[in-house]
Amino acid sequence: MAQMETALADAMSNIEGAIGVALVDYTSGMALATLGDHQTFDLNIAAAGNTDVVRAKMRTMEMLELQGAIEDMLITLTAQYHIIRPVSGKSGSGLFLYLVLDRKRANLALARHRLARLEADLEV
Amino acid sequence: MGLPISPHPPAPAGLLDRFAAERVTGALRGPHGCFYLLDGAVTCVEDAAAPGIDVRLSAAGKVPPQGWRYAAERAGPQRRGGQFLVSEGWLTQGELEVCHLAALLDAAFFALPLPPDATSFTPGTAHWLGVVRPVSAAALQQATARRRALLDRLRRWAAADTSPVVAVPTDDRAPAPTSRQRRLLAHADGRRTPYELARTLGQSAFVTLLDVRRLAAAGLVRMPPAPGGLPRRRPGASLDGSAPPAAAGPRPPTWQLPVPDVLHTADPDIALLVRLRTALEENL
Repeated sequence: MAQMETALADAMSNIEGAIGVALVDYTSGMALATLGDHQTFDLNIAAAGNTDVVRAKMRTMEMLELQGAIEDMLITLTAQYHIIRPVSGKSGSGLFLYLVLDRKRANLALARHRLARLEADLEV
Repeated sequence: MGLPISPHPPAPAGLLDRFAAERVTGALRGPHGCFYLLDGAVTCVEDAAAPGIDVRLSAAGKVPPQGWRYAAERAGPQRRGGQFLVSEGWLTQGELEVCHLAALLDAAFFALPLPPDATSFTPGTAHWLGVVRPVSAAALQQATARRRALLDRLRRWAAADTSPVVAVPTDDRAPAPTSRQRRLLAHADGRRTPYELARTLGQSAFVTLLDVRRLAAAGLVRMPPAPGGLPRRRPGASLDGSAPPAAAGPRPPTWQLPVPDVLHTADPDIALLVRLRTALEENL
């Protein structure tokens, strides 16, 4: 992986309709890297807020005693898709990727596939 | 989606805020941790409780300990140790950034807040690793506050933080822990404390405390039994009946997690319990 921002920039340019992407630590909500137009969308606030989404889902899975890990989560808005993808890593890195897509331009299946590839790049 | 609400009201500007506002460059050294600042931004944090980036990268098999020492020697007055590690091909720039930020966040959790009366500032000092990715003092403190809130929710199991926990054998019905927790369980041998486990595994001490508390809450780890055996002879103890003064004050209360199964019975005697309740109610 090159510089974190470069890895995110590569992913953004490969994903049609991408508005912003962030790599976030989910116990602290701190964005390690963000890329996108901060005028239209504050990725730092989105990063912090979405840690609660990830945590709530993980806790629910624990309570239901569900086996298996979360690959990604999709939140569909009228005009956007938000995809959250935990970075697995062999020791559980505690990071997740957060991708915001323009719903009109995005190809959801392809975006998920590309995000999975970015995740593989980020495993340390 | 609501904004994250800081669990603690913003504290009156602490020492780190003050130095950040003055945009200083140098090292802010607390009782067990140290913040390196460049123009007020935090470039590096070290703390005795948190495994540093060297321990993490050694455990991950990226940089051997001798490679680390070599890089520290070669960093030179320009403090470009990080770039040296990358140029030697030990790790990529992205890996360095991710590991560096993870170690920085972890150390800040234990080093904050800096006590004003036990903190010294050395202007101009920089860490040999160089500037990898500076973080603003405000963002770092917000991140630390969120982590603290997360750990505080499991305050009841705080005693497990410093205890050499041991995995409890469970049946298949036990909730499946995460892969990180399974790795932790495999290493919970009753000799190492969570802090030592974090160092052995080269992972975040904060995350280890969080996982150990969660595992304790789920009944998957317990604390080893307190050493019993014969009472030690205390100096000055005598047989004439006068109690010698306790050497170190009252013993701290020991804390034990309930052994799972103790509270589970396959066949509770409902009739007996009902009679018992009726009898108790009659006596109210």
